[in-house]
Amino acid sequence: MKVLVTGAAGFLGTRISERLLAAGEHDLRLHFRSAPSARIAEWSARYPAARIETIGANLLSRGSLDPLVAGVDCIIHAAAGMRGSAADMFANTVVGTRNLLEAAGEAGVRRIVLISSFAVYRTIDLPDGALHDESVPIEPVGAEKGSYAYAKTRQEQIFEEYRQRFGFEAVILRPGAIYGPGTAPFSTRVGVQVAGFFFSLGGRATLPLSYVENCADAIVEAALRAPAGGVYNVVDDDLPSCRDYLRAFRREVRPMRVVPVPYWALLAGSRLLASYHRRSKGQLPAVFPPYVVKSMYRPLRYSNEALKRLGWRQRVPTAEALALSFSHWREHAS
Amino acid sequence: MLRIGIVGCGKIADGHVEQIRAVGRGEVVAVCDREPLMAEQLAVRMNVPARYDDFARMLDEMRLDVVHIATPPAAHVALASMAMDAGCHAFIEKPFAPTAAEAERIVEKAHATRKRISVNYLYNYEPPGLELQELLAQGELGEVVHLDTAYGYNLAGDYGLAVMTDPQHWVHALPGKLFHNVLDHVLAKLVAHLGDEFTVQVEAFRRRPASGNAIIDAMADELRFLIRSGAVTASGIVSAHARPVAQTLKVYGTKDSVELDYAARTLVRSAQQTQPSAVGRLFPPWVQARRYKRNFWRNVGLFRRHEFHYFQCMRILLGRFYDAVEHGAPDPIPPEQILRVCRLIDRIVDEMRKTP
Repeated sequence: MKVLVTGAAGFLGTRISERLLAAGEHDLRLHFRSAPSARIAEWSARYPAARIETIGANLLSRGSLDPLVAGVDCIIHAAAGMRGSAADMFANTVVGTRNLLEAAGEAGVRRIVLISSFAVYRTIDLPDGALHDESVPIEPVGAEKGSYAYAKTRQEQIFEEYRQRFGFEAVILRPGAIYGPGTAPFSTRVGVQVAGFFFSLGGRATLPLSYVENCADAIVEAALRAPAGGVYNVVDDDLPSCRDYLRAFRREVRPMRVVPVPYWALLAGSRLLASYHRRSKGQLPAVFPPYVVKSMYRPLRYSNEALKRLGWRQRVPTAEALALSFSHWREHAS
Repeated sequence: MLRIGIVGCGKIADGHVEQIRAVGRGEVVAVCDREPLMAEQLAVRMNVPARYDDFARMLDEMRLDVVHIATPPAAHVALASMAMDAGCHAFIEKPFAPTAAEAERIVEKAHATRKRISVNYLYNYEPPGLELQELLAQGELGEVVHLDTAYGYNLAGDYGLAVMTDPQHWVHALPGKLFHNVLDHVLAKLVAHLGDEFTVQVEAFRRRPASGNAIIDAMADELRFLIRSGAVTASGIVSAHARPVAQTLKVYGTKDSVELDYAARTLVRSAQQTQPSAVGRLFPPWVQARRYKRNFWRNVGLFRRHEFHYFQCMRILLGRFYDAVEHGAPDPIPPEQILRVCRLIDRIVDEMRKTP
């Protein structure tokens, strides 16, 4: 089976490529935008029988992606806009996906695996302590949750539109907060650094972590074995609370001046800032609007049971994954 | 209320929608992008009622008074001409046009159709820019002898990343590449003090290591220039590496000199020794500290009055442009200054091509 990985030079895409090879998938086409992964020579040496193609392509270039998808049986679509302005994030996530699916549909690609995100879920209606599994509906629009959530939500909608149009086997994975050596240590779920202080926002809420190696395992597992139409949350076992994660970070990596912000204070501050934003005609940005606070900062329980039913098992235990990440961040503290 | 449409739904379009609304003189009634998904995202995020992927259709159906053109510059001549032919005034993002010749076509069309045009040269409307205009009008600085400006660029920022990660980004197709996209901001601060006859000297080079991508590596990231126009000279640095990222101008006058920092929103007269000997060198820091303190309290006042938005300067510029549109007030950016900027860019680009 020829597998195309988009965004294969990225933080997650590199691991997905590596795990595909380890799983015996030796016919790979690895997409990159600027430069291919530096690890391809190493993989070629380790898997001499593997056929590893690299291909540069700009997914925004509609109509030029036929060579990217020609002869491909399965696509793992990991490329997405992770940074930049709202418009750029949307273009790199949604427009790029539309262009890829258009080309893949015309080329008759049989199976497409979309790497989505927890950000698409509509969690504002869930009560505290509720189970957050795949049955939670996704946002109808997503714009209220910010530009990343909006782009990922629209991306899933486009994915469904094109599935209906071309009939490919569709599988969706929605990872939580992906972390590991190479990422920034703090999801905004934990808190934010401002003016030399770390404002701890997550408190006792569980942090839905997914260690990058485990996440890549889950994606490969789903790519190879999930039934068509499968949707999977990707989180690890033994998840810490945001508070425990922050405490461990301060102990293992570096001390920080932490200001704990309880949920009620975060929500009140968020409402105050939103009100000031309106009155002042946007003089200060309405970061953390109330909708985002209510959606992201309440305690929920997370499930990876669907993934486990598929056969996925967490290869790197959370304690070890955290230790590896903390060690990396300690060494790269500067 | 003016009926306003926006064409080009990339990242700068957000700023246009927000500032049009903050100015409160017009309503954004439609947005347009040839990529329907991009028009959709701006309309959805910003709650704009209508969206189009066909500019002619938007002009035909929406009965617009003003069009804001926020597309890459290669489309500016065609879009501005269509807008003015349809009876709209046009506010155009920088770069105004890829070449001076194309800029002249826009200005000529405005004359022919009796429509007003302007361009987003917003820095002259920052508090220090406005204060400089007052000082010059009052003759406080005497005649301008020399201007020295610095413009920093962060290649790791939102705009820089878009250029650095995409060899097909439109910036790479501009004759002057990265500098072509920022020189409007640099030169717009200078042109009011220069004439149409000038000489230009340039050094341009790439300081960052090669990435391996030929298109991206062809983009220089450091520029120095020296312009002479009659008895006035101007020098400038555009740098992607110097930190902090600068936005400054120093104006040397025959009576006094001033230093403007657009990012910090300060304008201070340059320090000078008014007392003799070593004692005389003791006081200037104290005098300068008091001058900066005055700037601080002025900015606090602006903040309290909600007049300190990051794009406050654009709000003032738009307000004056809408004055021109609605009441026949003077152009906030005279067309001859727009053309002078474009001619200077052409010359700098020509000189860049000669540097190894």
